[in-house]
Amino acid sequence: MTPPPRDVGLDALPDVVLCERATDGDTAAFEVLARRYGPMMRGYAMRLTGSTADADDAVQETLIHAWDHLADLRDGSVVKSWLMRICGRRSIDIVRRRREHADADTLAGVPDHRPTPESATIAGSGLDSLARSLEALPAEQRQCWVLKEMGGLSYEEIAEQLRISSESVRGRLARARATLMKDMEGWR
Amino acid sequence: MTDETNGTDAPRPARADSPADDCGHSLEELGEYLETGSSPYAAHFGQCPQCQAGLASLRVLGDLTRRLAEEDTQAAAASDGWLQDILSNLRLETRAGRSIPVASENPDDGLSETEGAVVALIRSAGDAIDGVTIGKCRLHGDITRPGAPTRVELSVTALHGYRLPALVDALRTSVGEVFGLHTELHLDGVDITVADIVQDGQGTAPGPGLEEHP
Repeated sequence: MTPPPRDVGLDALPDVVLCERATDGDTAAFEVLARRYGPMMRGYAMRLTGSTADADDAVQETLIHAWDHLADLRDGSVVKSWLMRICGRRSIDIVRRRREHADADTLAGVPDHRPTPESATIAGSGLDSLARSLEALPAEQRQCWVLKEMGGLSYEEIAEQLRISSESVRGRLARARATLMKDMEGWR
Repeated sequence: MTDETNGTDAPRPARADSPADDCGHSLEELGEYLETGSSPYAAHFGQCPQCQAGLASLRVLGDLTRRLAEEDTQAAAASDGWLQDILSNLRLETRAGRSIPVASENPDDGLSETEGAVVALIRSAGDAIDGVTIGKCRLHGDITRPGAPTRVELSVTALHGYRLPALVDALRTSVGEVFGLHTELHLDGVDITVADIVQDGQGTAPGPGLEEHP
């Protein structure tokens, strides 16, 4: 009887090695990366799009793009932030596409208040209240806040993604911050 | 403290819509101070009760936002079905790479294999050796020419406790076998870099997306 082979399992490999293997065409290594960072991407995309269906589309598009462009990623150790960045971009694009396709008349004046299904599972009054306050923000402000505070993007990066000026980003963030701070006084 | 966003000169007059005792500093100024750790008004922030309260609230808001992101991640990790659906829908293109000629009985038949297929064979042969996992694998040389001299560059992760010289020898033998069996290239050498030595083959993986991976 020989002992079972002892190896470094794919799940235990660092991002750098998984990226190397995926770049060489190893789909199993790519799946490990997708499992490692998929949940984080989905949460981010849900906050940006306000919908699980859109979030799943964003994650799927992110993974397809990532597979096709992994060779461009020089340093596999930053794959997490690379994926999150692509995912943010895809999420914004999906919201934009949806807007462009929707009938402008039916949308006029309708606030973007769709709750995310997962928000019901968020326990703890503070988090729960923040989730609701975020969802109640106008979409343009919520996106700025989420890109900045959850995605860690700079004003300039947000401006580029949303195709608006840095000054507009600054203004939207200020309004989002003021609203959230005011809301927070109510639930603390 | 106001939620006004423009203007950076201090001190400034209190606005008509602000309380009379308003010190005139915006949440944005406080936010930037929190982020960068510096501000032209740092001295004022240090002793103004209003700004102190504003800074404390901003810290709580930032902290809650980060925790919400973590909760979102955990909620997404707890239900696996959506990810499984996405993964099973992914149609990942194979990476063919260059075309490696293979001799055929009939010289008129063009027969070839892909670089990607050979790399995959080397990877699985290497993974089959105990104690080592293949990372990067590159074929160097003009492999589109029959019998071309070729070097293989390998980057590997080894499991702690295995003797590296033995691992490297086994890898070289294994790559040689793959070349002999599956290609007509001339193997000039195998350059192996042990990029990492891992203590435990199982216990080092992070939870899905929750930790920074080393």
